[in-house]
Formats: sequence, C-alpha cells, structure tokens
Amino acid sequence: MTTRIPITILSGYLGAGKTTIINRLLSGDHGRRVAVLVNDFGAVNIDASLIETEDDNTISLTNGCVCCSIGDDLGAALDAQAARHIPPENILLEASGVAEPKRIATHVGFWPGFELDALIVAADAETVRNRANDKFVGQLVRSQIRHADIIALTKTDLVGPEAARGVKAWLRNQVPNARIFEAPNGTLPVALAFGADRASNALSGPVEPAPHSHLRTVMCVPGTGLSRAGLARAIEALPSSVHRVKGFFRDLETGRMTLLQCVGRRHEFLEAPTDTETVLVLIGVGSDTEMNGAMDLLTASDALEADPKSTFAARISD
Amino acid sequence: MSRITVYTARKVRTMNPSFPEAEAVAVRDGRIVEVGTLDSMKPWLGAHEHVIDDRFKDHVLMPGFIDPHIHPAVGGVLLPSYWITAMEWQLPDRISPAIKTHEGYLERLGEIERSMDDPDEVLLTWGFHKIWHGDVFREQLNEISQTRPVFVLQRSFHEAVTNDAGLDWLEAERSELERHHQIDLETGRFFETGLAVLFQSVNKITLNPERFARGLEMHKRMVHLGGHTTVGDMAYPMMNHDFEWEMLSERIDRDDVPFRMKIVPRGALRGDWNGSPTENLARVNEMETLGTHRLRFGNAVKLFADGGFNAELMQLLPPGYIDGHHGEWLVAPEYFRALAEQYWKDGKQIHVHCTGDMGLELALTVLEDLLAVQPRFNHRFTIEHCGVSTPEQAGRIRDLGAIVSAAVYYVHELGEAYWHHSIGYERAFQMSRMGTLERLGITTAFHSDFVVSPPQPLHTAWVAVNRFAESGAVLGERERTSLDFAMRAITIDAAYVLNMENEIGSIRAGKLADFTVLEADPWETPLEDLKDIPIWGTVFEGRPFPVEK
Ligand SMILES: [Zn+2]
Repeated sequence: MTTRIPITILSGYLGAGKTTIINRLLSGDHGRRVAVLVNDFGAVNIDASLIETEDDNTISLTNGCVCCSIGDDLGAALDAQAARHIPPENILLEASGVAEPKRIATHVGFWPGFELDALIVAADAETVRNRANDKFVGQLVRSQIRHADIIALTKTDLVGPEAARGVKAWLRNQVPNARIFEAPNGTLPVALAFGADRASNALSGPVEPAPHSHLRTVMCVPGTGLSRAGLARAIEALPSSVHRVKGFFRDLETGRMTLLQCVGRRHEFLEAPTDTETVLVLIGVGSDTEMNGAMDLLTASDALEADPKSTFAARISD
Repeated sequence: MSRITVYTARKVRTMNPSFPEAEAVAVRDGRIVEVGTLDSMKPWLGAHEHVIDDRFKDHVLMPGFIDPHIHPAVGGVLLPSYWITAMEWQLPDRISPAIKTHEGYLERLGEIERSMDDPDEVLLTWGFHKIWHGDVFREQLNEISQTRPVFVLQRSFHEAVTNDAGLDWLEAERSELERHHQIDLETGRFFETGLAVLFQSVNKITLNPERFARGLEMHKRMVHLGGHTTVGDMAYPMMNHDFEWEMLSERIDRDDVPFRMKIVPRGALRGDWNGSPTENLARVNEMETLGTHRLRFGNAVKLFADGGFNAELMQLLPPGYIDGHHGEWLVAPEYFRALAEQYWKDGKQIHVHCTGDMGLELALTVLEDLLAVQPRFNHRFTIEHCGVSTPEQAGRIRDLGAIVSAAVYYVHELGEAYWHHSIGYERAFQMSRMGTLERLGITTAFHSDFVVSPPQPLHTAWVAVNRFAESGAVLGERERTSLDFAMRAITIDAAYVLNMENEIGSIRAGKLADFTVLEADPWETPLEDLKDIPIWGTVFEGRPFPVEK
C-alpha cells in the first residue's frame, strides 16, 4: 500500500480562473490538511483572519492548510512539503499557464514520494473557444483541455446559461466524454479536487457533504468480489457525469484486496492491505438515477468472464 | 595624466569604415588617443611623453572581440565536469577532442575514470550525443566502474545515463525510480522529467560553491582564450542572484581580469516567470544600481518567447516538426506582451529569446503593437538566436527597426541533424539566415550562447562565412555572409547590440583601448581557415594580457 502524497494539478491557461479556485479552496473549511503550491504568491488573496503565520514563501492557515510558492525548482518545492513535520494529506499544485499538462503530470506524478491524483484544467467559458483558436496558444490550450481528467468550467455566470451550454457542447466535441464541472465563481468542492477521503478506513465512514448541490456522492458495499477486467470496461462506459470513482474490492482473479482509483477517463488498480473493507464511492454531477445506474454498472462486474467482451456487451444491453 | 603608449603592429584593422587600416595606435589611461602611423601621430607624440611598444610588430590588431550572449553561471556548473564531446572544444586547461564514435567515447570515459585519484569522487561527464556516440547504457558504464557513480549528461540535457553505483548513490528509493515512466533502470537512462529526479541529487555536486567558483575561474580563462574583451551575460541571474552576484563580484570584478561583462537582467525571474510587470521593473531597476567597473548594467532586459533550439522546443509555424511534436512557450504570450509593454514604456532595450519562427512571429507582432502605441526611435529591440525564421520575417525585422544577435553555430552542429530528424531539408538549409540579414542591412551580432557553442568569435565567424555543416558539406550557400559582415558581428555590431558602440567595438580615438591580437590577418586568410587563426591574447583598457600557453 502506497504512502505517497497525492497531487492534484490545477492547470489552465492565463485568466482561466486558477487563482480564484485556489483562494476559495484555501479559505474553505473542509477539514483536510492541504498544501497548495502556487506560482505567483502575490496573487493569493486570503482573508487575514484565516492566516495563522506568514513569511516570504509560506502562508499557514487556521484550517490546517498551507500555501507555498513554487519558486524555480518544482522538485525542491515538493521535497520541502514531504519534509514538513506533519506532511500534507493532499497537494494542490498550480501549473504554470504555459505548462503542457502531460509533461507536468509526469514530472510531479513520478516525483519520489508523490503520485498523481487528478489533473484538473480550468477553462474560462468566456474565452476558451477563442484561445483554442489563437495562433500562438491554440495548440497549447487544446492540449490542456484534451489531457484534463476534469475540466473546471469557470465564469459560466458571466456568459449566461445558453452560452455556457454552447461551450460545454464545444468541449465535448473536443474531448468526447469530457468530465466537466461548472465552477461559476471558482468553487471547486474538495471531494472533486482530492477525491473521497484518502485513508482507507475513512472511506467507509461518512463521506463529506458536498457544499455544492450539484456534486453528488454515491457509496455502495458490493456483496461479492469484482473482476478487474469487468470494472475497467464498466469505467469506460460510465456517463460523463461521473467524475471520480474510488473503491476497495476483492479481485476475483487473484482474491486480493485491490484499490481502484479513477479520475475522469483515467483509472488504475493498486494493491491494497488485506484487512481493508470493501466499498465503492462515486463522485459526480449526475442525477440520482444516473449515479445509481453508474454504480450498478460497476458492481455488475462480479463474475469471471470466459470471453469478457461479449459477456460484457450482453450485460449492458439487458 | 599618464604617459602615452604606442602599440605598433603589422596591421591594425580598426573596423571603422572611414579609417579601416592603420599601423599604430596610441593609448593613454586605458583609452585610445590616436590611430594611424607613427608619422601621422606626430602632433600627439610631440606634445606628450610617450613610449613605443613594438611587441605586436608581427601581429594584427583588431578591436577586442565581443560576445553579447553567454551564460557564465552555466560555465560555472559545467566546466568542472569531465567533457567528452563530438566537436572539438578548446578548454582553458585542456582540449576536448572531437570524439565521434561509440568505441572512442567509452575508451575516453574509461581513461578518465582511471585518472581519478579520489575513489569517492562522482564522475560527471558532459557532452554525450547519441548521433555520434551511439547508445551508452548502464551495463557499459558498469564496465567503466562497479563502484564509482558515473553520470553521463547529454550535451543539451535531453537525457542522462548512469551505472549501478550511480543508481545506488541517488537519493530516490529504487522503487521510486522503477515506477517512473521516464526512467529506464534496465538501460540506466533518465530522460525528460526523469532527469529532474537525477538532478535532485546531482545538483548537490554541481552547485557546491567551491566547485562553482572553480568553474567560473575556468570560464574566465575561456573568455580570454577566445580573444574577448567584452561579453554579455544575457539573462542574469541564472538561478539565484545573491549567490551569483557574490561569485561574480569576487571572480570577475578584479584588476587581473581582462574583460568586462555587461549584465542583462531577466525581465521576469525563472521558474515562475511571474510577478507583476511593475514589480519586475522595480527589481531590474534596483539591480542596475549594483554596476561596477567590470560588471556593467545598461538599460536593458532579457525576455523569453519560445523554448530551446537544441531541445527542439522552439515554436514552429506550420508545417512544424516532422514527428508532429510541439514546441513550448517559456512564458505565456500575454504575459510576455505585458512585460514587454512595461519595459518598453520605461525606455529599456528589450532582448527577446526567439528560436523558432513562431516565437519570432510573437516577438515581431508585439513589437509592432508597441511601436503603434508608443513609437520609439533607436529602440534596439533585439532578436536573440533567430534559429528558424522566414525570409519575410527578416524583412519585418528590418521594417520594425529591430536588430539581431544570432546563434550561428546551430547550422554547423545541428543543420544536418535537423534536416534528417527534425524539420527537413528546406528549413534546415536556411536556418540562421545570416545572408538574408546581411542583404537587408540588419545590424547583427554573433554569439556563442556558451555552452551552446564554443566562446570563440573567430569560430563563429567561420561558421557564418562558410556554413560548413558537421559533415563538412556547405548547407545553405545563399545564407553565407561576407567576411566584413561576420567580423563586424563580433566587434562593432556586437557593441551596438550591447548599446556600447560609443565605447568599444572599433579602434578609434576616444574608445576604450581593447584589442584582440591575432597572429594572422583574417582578410588575408582563406575563409575556411578563419577559425584556426591563433590568438596571441588581448589588450584590455590599454594593458596587454597574453594567453597562457
Ligand atoms: Zn542564452
């Protein structure tokens, strides 16, 4: 079982709303020890009453979070977090506006002692389409969107519902099955940014209530073991309203406890401690019916399949 | 006032087109008082105490060479490493011969290992290039040493390779190396982001102050060997102002150093490239007050557009790269624009790192807009590098009054490699289009961007006039320059790029007495031998400094 610190990358081109997202996340009362690593320390703007201490490149907050500037050595900034007396549970890393997301995800996701949790790309409903066609940055902006696990669509309040629908349709056209989360005023729920609570046992406890009405969490304890291959295919068939899946299950093939982590369209299976309790948690923006349907899809992967493809096709068609 | 010293010479090439040749130059208190013949300078010599110094009677004097774009901190980091290079490099204490084969590479590496006295010293070698040295893998390095960590750093930091001892020496746990997608333990290769994991440990060696000071000391000697009397540190600081300023003040700002350094601060700091433009302006303005006799600032800043040329991260206009990858922006174009506006309004000379034609397009587009909003004369907006460009862009450089500081060496080392592997024949053929710049009358300096290429102006000029690619074939004969253009680009036009042409760059009364002393006259030397003209040494502000033999 891994003890690496998970990193959520917040990418997006200039003006996409990353700083607002960061300011809100830092000020929120969410009960997690998060370290936020930012490029521009000067742009961080937090209510003074929340600040415990502040020095040249670190702000400590009363809610247990810290905000640090990255400086010119990303690895050193990560090492400094790992070396803290009490290391953070999660790291939110603000990527530079011109960073190729794939590259930064590889850089920090494989940095010794760390792992990639999610790549969230902020896109500004007002300007993203123009930017995506810009002569100088169009390729970069399209690449950022394409590589996102979750797209945080900001400033939708400024463009009105119809234009926001238009942008979403355009995004889906760029990235089939894109996971889009509307964050009109820059609020990114903690469960979306960092997933269900990380500690294995906490998964079976109450999942944090999402402050946002449209973010839903659905939990289920599958009665049987599940098949990895079946899960992998079920994940591919999930509706785009499911943004995250996390769970522990007994692998039917090996009989071992296994951790499933899925953010957006990307998933991985990891070995889990044998005494972990079985549970699956879904986080998304779908309706109750949609979310429950998604859960059913996942928990149906409960048989070893002789010919997985055809069995699977049969299952989803009935 | 001191006595006048008259240096006589076989020939003085003044680089002053109105008075191109002379036989003697009279110097007092570090400045030139008269140029001509002993006969023509009689009025001065009759009126003032003087001495004739004929030690250069068999030599040719030129204005002190100028390289407007080097990086002393990179020298500080790399020069103390062991070099094994595909091209020949003249280093202060050694020649790094051209080693172009796999066997030759490993043989040389073994020799180096056996020559090391301290069994605990880590072997860091720089200069490896797959095109010439083939695949060098962990197992081969294990044969070099089972116990000593060996790190092979690729010439432009694309990758590094190490042996088992090296893997053990790194701080990162083996399991962390194992899972990394850009580290291959089987071959011992670290590439792209995997390299950062290697440098996490290796930097502790390279940034050691004692070692860095040693590197800077070697760099000083290299600058002298190349015949320079002025260099530009084009993007200061590299990493850390306090550390580097202490090093530079200690090592460069001394009486025994035969050159001055113009320091051009970064318009935005590395890494984050952030901070508001006004804060950055304040930082740069404050830095400018630090200037000393040898460490000079001017009213200039360095900005960055697209990524490195050697790393194939330049931003290209269509059709882009053969393999379809994309270049990168070093700063967001909008932020580049905001910084440029701020510095433009403050009247600064702006140097912009542009390597690909899309990077250049951005720089020219921004310049055009700046000119529309606030016209400036004599702005000297400088395109640094100018690797891949179009002929039409060259016209626009001229139309907008911009100038160029060019990395000519690209065509020599990378021209053929980029033809075959990166951008194809037509654009590789025309990269570093110096001939076009000459035809358009654009003021152009040549630079080495050390350690991108050797800090040897005659070598750079040799590339420009011949365009010999690595194989020896001529690549892009229509982009060759005249000898005059090339020699101006390392003297008077380089001075112009550094905004110092009133003080240096040619030999005329009133200027600083900086000379490069050559054993032969470039104008009487076959063009293909230009790089081999021996350099006796220099005169810096009137004082002769022979190179150590
Ligand atoms: Zn440079």
